[in-house]
Amino acid sequence: MTKFLSSYEGLVSATVLGELRQLGNRLAGKRVVHVNSTREGGGVAEILDWMIPLMQDVGLKAQWEVITGNSDFYAVTKKFHNGLQGFPVTISKREWQTYREVNEENAVRLRPILEEADFVVIHDPQPAALLGLCPDRKGKWIWRGHIDISRPTRSVWRGLRPFVAGYDASIFSMCQFAQPLPHPQFLIPPSIDPLSPKNMDLDPEELTRVRHQYNLDPDKPLLVQVSRFDRFKDPLGVLEAYRLVRKVQPVQLVLAGGGATDDPEGQEVLDEVLEAAAGDPDIHVLLLPSDAHRTINALQRLADIVIQKSTREGFGLTVTEGLWKGKPVIGGDTGGIRLQVVNYHTGFLVNSPEGAAHRIRFLLHHEALRAKMGGRAREYVREHFLLTRHLREYLTLFHILGSREDASIIYI
Amino acid sequence: MGDFIIQDCSLLAKTSGLPAAINLRELRDRIALCSQDVLYHHFCETLLVPSFDNPDYRNDFAAWALLQLGDRVLAEQLGIINPYIFPDLEKLREQVLEILDERLSEVIFVPSCQPGGEFFFTEAVTVVFDTGKRIASPKALPEAIGTMTNGSIYYHFFEARRREPVGVDDFSAWLGGFPGQEAWRLALQTVDFVFFSLPELRGELVRVLGKGGVA
Repeated sequence: MTKFLSSYEGLVSATVLGELRQLGNRLAGKRVVHVNSTREGGGVAEILDWMIPLMQDVGLKAQWEVITGNSDFYAVTKKFHNGLQGFPVTISKREWQTYREVNEENAVRLRPILEEADFVVIHDPQPAALLGLCPDRKGKWIWRGHIDISRPTRSVWRGLRPFVAGYDASIFSMCQFAQPLPHPQFLIPPSIDPLSPKNMDLDPEELTRVRHQYNLDPDKPLLVQVSRFDRFKDPLGVLEAYRLVRKVQPVQLVLAGGGATDDPEGQEVLDEVLEAAAGDPDIHVLLLPSDAHRTINALQRLADIVIQKSTREGFGLTVTEGLWKGKPVIGGDTGGIRLQVVNYHTGFLVNSPEGAAHRIRFLLHHEALRAKMGGRAREYVREHFLLTRHLREYLTLFHILGSREDASIIYI
Repeated sequence: MGDFIIQDCSLLAKTSGLPAAINLRELRDRIALCSQDVLYHHFCETLLVPSFDNPDYRNDFAAWALLQLGDRVLAEQLGIINPYIFPDLEKLREQVLEILDERLSEVIFVPSCQPGGEFFFTEAVTVVFDTGKRIASPKALPEAIGTMTNGSIYYHFFEARRREPVGVDDFSAWLGGFPGQEAWRLALQTVDFVFFSLPELRGELVRVLGKGGVA
């Protein structure tokens, strides 16, 4: 669906939209090419889906290119992904060769576009080798690392670093995720699209329908955690917290996630969760299809408290989604959750099932405070984690890289 | 006096290249070495960074001392620092180092953070652009401020203090060019801006100017 900046009027102030147009006007006609490895599925594709039309709307000639590869290539890049996030993996010479070859094949097709562009943004490691394959590039090249590479498997980073080091700049979501590189490393947290099916306003009838569909009791407080069935999301810890709360008051829990079928470990975790939840009608373990965005939206809106009790987390956009729906979030004291959840203001950070249970009880006990925190949470997201801020920072980056000045303040 | 030119700005944070600090001594050593831009960023630019406006302390060092080192005494000492009263950033650095050295001489164990609570030194690049909007007379100032972006408020009220005339916000400097605006200039100087977010400060500036008369 084509999106226009004007669609966001009312969600953010007119001055914010005007600011974007002014930054965009001064870049009018500049060619921007984003490159990633998938058109659908995953956070990067979701971001590019709105970013391209909005960049076009503010005057840039923005386009989105996707590299193609075979299953061997994606097996290697999956290993990159795991290795960069600290899981021990070994990449063979043959696998490095596959990585280079697939990038070479893509470069044949993409070179004319990329070399002519004013700004090229390469997302994640999959297409990172394109830089070295476009020797006649005219513009500035930016590598955008979406994952946490703060503690990578050294051999993987050692192999990838030469592909990344030659860029003009890189972007990370948080300074904690970055690695030393010989170019400026900018910090741009991700964001949510308030008009996407996952975040748009829903009719009360739709909420009622979802409540009926999943047999949720309108008279019992509802706790919701939306995340993959992954040990780092600690679904078993959430169950434990729920049981501690249930000892003193009625409550129901939804653990909703998807995509476990193609992830052997995900299936294992899901099985453990189902076993632990068996026999309790107030625990709803929902395995949802990957396009169940409106259902997730409705569940978050039906929640009294949103939980994201991760023990390790990147940025945690499910936290942002919960906050945007005016819910206080009880989140694990880790990663990007710390940027979003602030004790007594937007929710509570916790380190154990006991801590989570304590904060759930506290929030259920203080209904007025819960509502107040929810209101603050939504405003906090409006101010900092909507796509308008994200777009502004990209435009700012283009101005910085396009400037001849190397100063901390640049007049355009 | 010419029109007031409304500028806007957008800030982008970046890493500084300094290693993260895990304890008070490392914080002290990194502050001694860091660029002025890093110091300025952690004291003054926090308002424009997408992070929570810490309600206790506005500068990152004080907030870190409280939240990650658990050192309330140090947090109080750092938290009260007004970075805008120093003639230059080196004087600010001297003051901060003085406080840190004093604290290091008092504590038996050097306070350290838990894993994940490290202090990351960052800085920012600010892009400034002309909005094309102008304010022709002081009478129009409150209304104009009321519609300014956070970036404009920051640029004219905070960032202005780094520029000539140093320590003065752009609104006061501009009003100084008109006769009979002393009341408004004084009113602006009495705003205790430390505890305001940018949207709150915008409202406060409008309120303060609304109370004063225009000659």
